[in-house]
Amino acid sequence: MSLKRINKELSDLGRDPPSSCSAGPVGDDLYHWQASIMGPPDSPYAGGVFFLSIHFPTDYPFKPPKIAFTTKIYHPNINSNGNICLDILKDQWSPALTISKVLLSICSLLTDANPDDPLVPEIAHIYKQDRKKYEATAKEWTKKYAV
Amino acid sequence: MASRNSTISVKVVAAESLYKRDVFRQPDPFAVITVDGSQTKTTKTAKKTLNPYWNESFSFQALEDSILVIQVFDQKKFKKKDQGFLGVVNVRIGDVIDLSLNNSEETITRDLKKSNENLAVTGKIIVVISHNKSGTSNNVSNGTTSTSSRLPSSSTTNNHSNGSGSASTASNAVPSVANNSSAAATTATTAAAAASHRQYSSFEDQFGRLPPGWERRTDNFGRTYYVDHNSRTTTWQRPTLDQSETERGQQRQDTTEAERRQHRGRTLPGEGPTSPSPQQQNSITSGNVTVNATGGNSPVSPGAAVSMAASGATTSGLGELPSGWEQRFTNEGRPYFVDHNTRTTTWVDPRRQQYIRTYGQNTTIQQQPVSQLGPLPSGWEMRLTNTARVYFVDHNTKTTTWDDPRLPSSLDQNVPQYKRDFRRKVIYFRSQPALRILPGQCHIKVRRDHIFEDSYQEIMRQTPEDLKKRLMIKFDGEEGLDYGGVSREFFFLLSHDMFNPFYCLFEYSSHDNYTLQINPNSGINPEHLNYFKFIGRVVGLGVFHRRFLDAFFVGALYKMMLHKKVVLQDMEGVDAEFYRSLKWILDNDITGILDLTFSAEEESFGEIVEIDLKPGGKDIEVTEENKHEYVELITEWRISKRVEEQFKAFIDGFNELIPQELVNVFDERELELLIGGLAEIDTSDWKKHTDYRGYQENDQVIQWFWKCVNEWDSEQKARLLQFTTGTSRIPVNGFKDLQGSDGPRRFTIEKAGESNQLPKSHTCFNRVDLPPYTDYDSLKQKLTLAVEETVGFGQE
Repeated sequence: MSLKRINKELSDLGRDPPSSCSAGPVGDDLYHWQASIMGPPDSPYAGGVFFLSIHFPTDYPFKPPKIAFTTKIYHPNINSNGNICLDILKDQWSPALTISKVLLSICSLLTDANPDDPLVPEIAHIYKQDRKKYEATAKEWTKKYAV
Repeated sequence: MASRNSTISVKVVAAESLYKRDVFRQPDPFAVITVDGSQTKTTKTAKKTLNPYWNESFSFQALEDSILVIQVFDQKKFKKKDQGFLGVVNVRIGDVIDLSLNNSEETITRDLKKSNENLAVTGKIIVVISHNKSGTSNNVSNGTTSTSSRLPSSSTTNNHSNGSGSASTASNAVPSVANNSSAAATTATTAAAAASHRQYSSFEDQFGRLPPGWERRTDNFGRTYYVDHNSRTTTWQRPTLDQSETERGQQRQDTTEAERRQHRGRTLPGEGPTSPSPQQQNSITSGNVTVNATGGNSPVSPGAAVSMAASGATTSGLGELPSGWEQRFTNEGRPYFVDHNTRTTTWVDPRRQQYIRTYGQNTTIQQQPVSQLGPLPSGWEMRLTNTARVYFVDHNTKTTTWDDPRLPSSLDQNVPQYKRDFRRKVIYFRSQPALRILPGQCHIKVRRDHIFEDSYQEIMRQTPEDLKKRLMIKFDGEEGLDYGGVSREFFFLLSHDMFNPFYCLFEYSSHDNYTLQINPNSGINPEHLNYFKFIGRVVGLGVFHRRFLDAFFVGALYKMMLHKKVVLQDMEGVDAEFYRSLKWILDNDITGILDLTFSAEEESFGEIVEIDLKPGGKDIEVTEENKHEYVELITEWRISKRVEEQFKAFIDGFNELIPQELVNVFDERELELLIGGLAEIDTSDWKKHTDYRGYQENDQVIQWFWKCVNEWDSEQKARLLQFTTGTSRIPVNGFKDLQGSDGPRRFTIEKAGESNQLPKSHTCFNRVDLPPYTDYDSLKQKLTLAVEETVGFGQE
């Protein structure tokens, strides 16, 4: 089931690419993709290009894809391994979601972090207590790792 | 920026889970490292392992755009056509380290890839790439190993032919990194020192390195577990360095001890100690003997509201026999009585008036003579203890019980139906000739620390008929005759070992981390079907000889054992994510959204195979019209079809001891109890680790809930657990360790529903939806009904 669906998503992405992100297979292995997201302009990640790795499980789309940032990013919902805390990648996954929709959700997570359900409590704490400091650090990391 | 040549150091640490190309031997892997196709270095050869550990460093001249290629080969086959190729990785240096910095170091773990030959490849390779312009400051972070990494390696040529490597002599069937444990620890330190790494080797994680001999792995549901190669065990808990191996051993023993205690405490209703112990309860009151029918042999807590008593009252001065009765004597001179009216015989003197006393709802006492109950079932006998207490002998199974087999567990109509049913079923089941213990003895001698292999040999060499003889288990080198205790211990230890996911026969379901299911990839062990047959025999042996296994399966497996069709509900206990998606398909219009055909894809050791769910399924689209059929077929395939072979071997082994038609009297929940027994459940611990949603702990309804649970006996509590969590198993360290499909999930009571509705359960989340009932009686009645009447594991 998965291969056909993945191929379809790939051709959909080619036909109608979402703004500010891109995705496609790394090599011949259709189950392993790389994606990139442009830092949203209204966020401290603006100007950065963030790479992500995507692994499709054999049960895709019955199970969510495994997505992780490969570019370092300072964000309360993304940890140092690049893991993302996003409900649609976990229990809110539905087979109707696609990589394109997931990437857009990740984009909006970059604009609006969710400090109440943090993956990195320290960053969430700073985000809530001292938003300026959070933005400065996020900008610095973006410049250092994503430009 | 970095257009000048830099000196980089490439340390090839290890590879893991290499492809096993030969059934009977493991490769001798070595790695060839090439930079830009011009500089080539070679590691030493590791011996007979799929997890080679080299930990060798080499220096190269490299640019940012340089390509590092690492190929792994089997030295034994290097001269053959495919050179024993085991995989390759390609890395662009600039993608890993930044040569413009003064120094940097990164540890990377990459999946090995196929070559053009397209031979199957699996596993990962771990490499540390570093460079240091300033030259001296590196030692600080890198520890002692960095010294070696700076030396140009002496092993630059093909020294893989002189392979006398002494380090790794994989001696057993276990994929072993343990051999290298001390060396592994060194890698872990080095790797841990590498700052800001995001790919951890399997010997470390973000909390630092694991103790020597430990390895981190991920199961096929993405859950992390830890392998202790020292003791060949696995655990979900991360080991810490500040514990010594002895302390860990101690901890392991403590856990086992707790599990053993829990295991010993398990019982079944209608069964108990093998002989009545008259001193236990002798309540003689002036010639009137009152027998608590449930006393002595069942694990009923005193609180259980069972208020039935059978009284065997003996009248003095016996007088004449009733008409149609005759007294006769056996050859041994023992009197028995013939009832010519019914053409039956009995040991019981009809003049000894036996009354069954029933306390009805209004505490009125109804009496009826036992003789009205009719004769005992064939092979049963009624006897008196020396304190004149009545007990029953079942000559079929050579067992005794306080319970009159003609009676339901209680005549009290308040006792729920399910209970009478299960007790009755057990008694019926035990009384069947096929479950009779055959004359003779069945000797099984095993070594405690080789219990799996030894039991396999011992149990498979005997015929099923032999295994039905009285079981005499002996642990090698230990005194002790098997009067029950030894065989209890045997089944306890064996069930721990044979279901250990380490052997790849069974795996933990994704529902929690303790219910077991057949591992679809068990075929990695070419002998697996024999092992499944063996395990089936062991499960049958336990049931036959009334010993419990300390193992719990997913609900679907019990259903399969009863030859029941698995349905979508059963998927919830097997794979909750998959279940949710299938449910979504049924609940939504899928037109144009899902591109599915009647086929499934299965990954098996890196290869993806497409399987038709029905003939020509690959070419049949799943549509809104036929989606129900699809869901049914994929569920069946996922749960039962893909482990069909294994299951068949398992059930064949089981049926050699327990005939299918007999086990079919039970439902899947009862079968779980029959195999695993009923545990004594600690309600205060349960209550202590319960969360509430919409309720507070001191709300009236919650107080009623616990009052009700407290009044229940073990079986009913176990059924409440099955209803709400999907299994009657309790985590060994108590309810605080209860797991749901998404990690630890405490038992939760949520306020939901109307007070005229029954409680509902969500086994994925260990949650019960309890409507706000207005009085205790309706809560009790509704909860009892929900727990009793719902059969099947998934309740959502």
